[in-house]
Amino acid sequence: MGGEEKEIQDYDRKMPRDSLITSENDRRKRGEEEQAPATSSKSAKTRKNIKNEKTRKMKEEGEEEGEDEERNGKGKKKHGSAEKDKKNRKGGKGKEKVQEVKKKKKKVETSSEQETSEEDDEEDKEEKEVRPECLSPEELEKLKEAVDERKKLIQALRGKPWPMKTKLVTLQESQEFVEKYEGALGKGKGRKLYAYKVMMTKKWMKFQRDFENFKTACIPWEMKIKEIESHFGSSVASYFIFLRWMYGVNMILFGLTFGLVMVPEALMGRPYGSIPRKTVPRAEESSAMDFAVLWDFGGYAQYSVLFYGFYNNQRAIGWLKFRMPLSYFLVGVGTVAYSYMVVIRTMARNANESGVGDDNSFNFSWKTFTSWDYLIGNAETADNKFASITTSFKEAILEEQESRKDDNIHLTRFLRVLANFLVLCCLAGSGYLIYFVVRRSQKFALDGLENHTWWERNEVNMVMSLLGMFCPMLFDVISALENYHPRVALQWQLGRIFALFLGNLYTFIIALMDEINIKREEEKIVKFNITTWEASLYNGTVSGNSTAPPNTIHPADVPRGPCWETMVGQEFVRLIISDTMTTYITLLIGDFLRAVLVRFLNYCWCWDLEAGFPSYSEFDVSGNVLGLIFNQGMIWMGAFYAPCLPALNLLRLHVSMYLQCWAVMCCNVPQERVFKASGSNNFYMAMLLVILFLSTLPAIYTIVTIPPSFDCGPFSGKNRMFDVIQETLESDFPAWFGKAFSYASNPGLVLPFILLMVLAIYYLQSTSKSYREANMDLKKKLQTQNEENKKKNKQAALKAQMDLEEARQAAEQQKHNNTSNEEAADVEENSDSGQRMHHTKNERNNAPPAGDRRRQQSATRAPVPRNYHQGNHPTPGYLPGFPQQSEPRMHRVPSLQRH
Amino acid sequence: MVSPAIALAFLPLLLTLIIRYRYFFVLLYRAVLVRIWKDCVTGLSREERAFQYVLTHSTPGDPDSILDAFDVWCSKVEFISNIGPKKGKILDRLLLEHSPLTVLELGSHCGYSTVRIARSLPLGARLYSIEMDQRNAAIAEKIIRLAGFDDDTVELIVNPSDEVIPRLRSDYNLDRLDFVFMDHWKKCYLPDLQMLEGSGLLGKGSIILADNVLFPGAPKFLRYIRKSGLYEWKIHRATLEYSKGIRDGMAELVYQGIK
Repeated sequence: MGGEEKEIQDYDRKMPRDSLITSENDRRKRGEEEQAPATSSKSAKTRKNIKNEKTRKMKEEGEEEGEDEERNGKGKKKHGSAEKDKKNRKGGKGKEKVQEVKKKKKKVETSSEQETSEEDDEEDKEEKEVRPECLSPEELEKLKEAVDERKKLIQALRGKPWPMKTKLVTLQESQEFVEKYEGALGKGKGRKLYAYKVMMTKKWMKFQRDFENFKTACIPWEMKIKEIESHFGSSVASYFIFLRWMYGVNMILFGLTFGLVMVPEALMGRPYGSIPRKTVPRAEESSAMDFAVLWDFGGYAQYSVLFYGFYNNQRAIGWLKFRMPLSYFLVGVGTVAYSYMVVIRTMARNANESGVGDDNSFNFSWKTFTSWDYLIGNAETADNKFASITTSFKEAILEEQESRKDDNIHLTRFLRVLANFLVLCCLAGSGYLIYFVVRRSQKFALDGLENHTWWERNEVNMVMSLLGMFCPMLFDVISALENYHPRVALQWQLGRIFALFLGNLYTFIIALMDEINIKREEEKIVKFNITTWEASLYNGTVSGNSTAPPNTIHPADVPRGPCWETMVGQEFVRLIISDTMTTYITLLIGDFLRAVLVRFLNYCWCWDLEAGFPSYSEFDVSGNVLGLIFNQGMIWMGAFYAPCLPALNLLRLHVSMYLQCWAVMCCNVPQERVFKASGSNNFYMAMLLVILFLSTLPAIYTIVTIPPSFDCGPFSGKNRMFDVIQETLESDFPAWFGKAFSYASNPGLVLPFILLMVLAIYYLQSTSKSYREANMDLKKKLQTQNEENKKKNKQAALKAQMDLEEARQAAEQQKHNNTSNEEAADVEENSDSGQRMHHTKNERNNAPPAGDRRRQQSATRAPVPRNYHQGNHPTPGYLPGFPQQSEPRMHRVPSLQRH
Repeated sequence: MVSPAIALAFLPLLLTLIIRYRYFFVLLYRAVLVRIWKDCVTGLSREERAFQYVLTHSTPGDPDSILDAFDVWCSKVEFISNIGPKKGKILDRLLLEHSPLTVLELGSHCGYSTVRIARSLPLGARLYSIEMDQRNAAIAEKIIRLAGFDDDTVELIVNPSDEVIPRLRSDYNLDRLDFVFMDHWKKCYLPDLQMLEGSGLLGKGSIILADNVLFPGAPKFLRYIRKSGLYEWKIHRATLEYSKGIRDGMAELVYQGIK
């Protein structure tokens, strides 16, 4: 449903371009005398262009033949789209209307097919009749001229002030003519090649059409999103499109980590239980398979490929000699790099799309002509949209009115400051609460988690999720104090939620850093203990039976360090899980349960539940988008220490796609203020970029500054994690490469390079700025030119009217002379209106047929411009029944011509 | 045992709910808690207390002062769901615009809206006011008389509306109602409307004004008028009487008849 309407819209936009191409085509053809082989590639290219424009249109069309038909079809389609346009303007957004239009279009198509097939036959006949060889040179010349004339006509058709129907008929006829005789002008040999070319084009086009269909069918969830779009408007749909995009990005991240890290380790790495880091310690063995432990990602889950600690520092594994540590590091860097690239690329693309158009100068006309969301297909949403447009108009008018006067600015200011103060308090409170909880959980961890309840163990995540859920509500309530315009209020709201989430996340990270430091202290002690333990072991074996093999110690019994990397990964995984759970539970309780209650309790309740207090929930776009963005931030942060995170996230996104689609359609109502999401996509992207940056910061910090654990992970034993690159360079590459690399990484080389980059960025920035300015100038120029044209046209119209008036007077006079009625002529000279009144009266008295009169006029006088008399203007004033020949009508004529 | 930190995390939610629905809490306090307390203390019903206040604070024979006294009592002392001054203005305007001759009021409660309607009626018009409750009707009677309206202008009928409406034509010799004001039980809006349609008392151009259609709300009534097509209707949005933040509305229906 929404798709169709979008198509219409798209097509409406494309129409002028289409016809432009047609004319180009014609121009190209005019010059040539059937040089098919030479131009075939060129024409194919052009055709492809046309095709790209039209493939979407063509999907529904049946078979369509050749190039000529294409042209005809285009004319038809133009007609069809014009009809559609009319329909749209009438406000026909209902289902039936569009279907009707569709039907009509189909009809048109089929009719064009018939015609074209007939035309084919005709063409064959024509071929026999008009053999170019049989024509004399003069006739050929004549024919050529005629063809040229027709072509000119086709080109100029758009500017002709005729009714649409005439235009279409003329267009069709001329095109047929041109098609017929243009070919006839060529030589006999070229014709076959031409036919072959046409056939191939047909086949190619069909293939492309099918391919396009296939491509559309391949876009996942497209129909679902379209349906939602039709019910809830594009702002809600933009969330789902964003979600889908996110899914795609995560798919790549998952592919990287899964394919290059997890699978190789699982297949080629040492199996479970072979070395201490791959074995569950003896103390935990009894509970390692408990569900509660696994749910917290402890036990067997902790000692698996899912986490950093499981990986071995063996340089190359398996028969492939897979460089595991290097791969691990590069994948970690690669995911972040890829994310940066993809976000920035999307941003740039979006910016290109929305770059044109200034919002300031024609505020009200923008509102009038562009505020409708054509993708809406649901009556209720349409009502809401209507209401919101009306309110936006009211608001805009009020804004215009009140832009000068401002009552009680001090109170407003005070309230705004107060609101911000309250929000800050709230933020600080939530930050402190999280900090407190994290510290407490560390205490619990030191005590041993088994001694505490589930609530206490999951306190951090619970508190974070709850705060993330409830604080935005509080902000929303507080923002009522500020009395901002809703759009501004939404921005503030987004900013505050952003700050809250960011604060929470960073508090969490800071607490995590503390924990890392604690673990590292612990690690030092353990390291010392291990050396003593090993020594004692060695001593023991020496002192005891010397023949006993030293490897009798089971890997589970070997003491080991606390491996902070796995701990970090676990924390993030738990956070993601609890966040997902909270989201889903909120969805089920807050939306679904509420909807069920409202729906069924309404039968026996004392007030109206549906329209009144609880009502159904609206889809919270901003909250959901922010949730998604922060979730992604956590993934970026934690993915290095828990390779399973992208997989988990993929799962989460997949489920939430279906769940949220269902929930939206099942238990949400369209927003009261339906707003278009045109510019918001890049806003989301910008937030995503900020979050990406902020989330890579701590990850990079830990990688660069903290030495890895000594006995777990792929980098164990190294001083820093990135030493793995150095190692690879030394051992796997030829010596010169390492040398070159060391030179390249020399600050003396890196710094100039960075400088160069900065300069390049500056240069590009300034060029784009100047381009923008030039654009603005051009726009201004265009505008002034338009105004000038309008003025000129007005003047021309006025002059023409005066001439007309004069001519008519002359005619009148003549007639009066004829009928010897001099008094009337005197009155005419006195006043214009009086003249006209009198004139019409006269006309009524005389009542000659209009055409007759006109002929008479043109016969009698000269100075009237021709174009006003040649059917361009229906000349309502001349008809006896229409005495008022209004001036605006006259003004509009030239502007019609201009187009 | 839930830890205190998790409980603290619910604080924003609690605050949000309190702030967002503060008007409802205030309403609950004023309309229910204060009423119960006063009932116990004074032994009088709410309407009787209101009557005492009006009696002492207004000039007899002056409808305006009586209405003012009511408004003051309802907004400052206790809460009675009269139509209130703001929505009353809409009512006044409608009455002045149409100057109906036969008016039916469903639910006079303690006479506030009766006085309000009666004072803006044209000469010779007659108001039939239906009240179900005996005690309320007695007070309404007193208030009406206090305002100076006699039996010719206002006729108080003490009976449930669903019994009275079918008998209006026979017992009171009515053949057309120009204006109907509904402010009784919200559940009865729809059956009474249908009964009015059935009795044939509504003619083309008869106006029906229904109070409190959004809060407490009469969803079935609204759904019915939306669907029926017998009426031209609109909803005057306003707030609940004597309270700022609760949205409410009055439905104005103009009977068009079957086309």
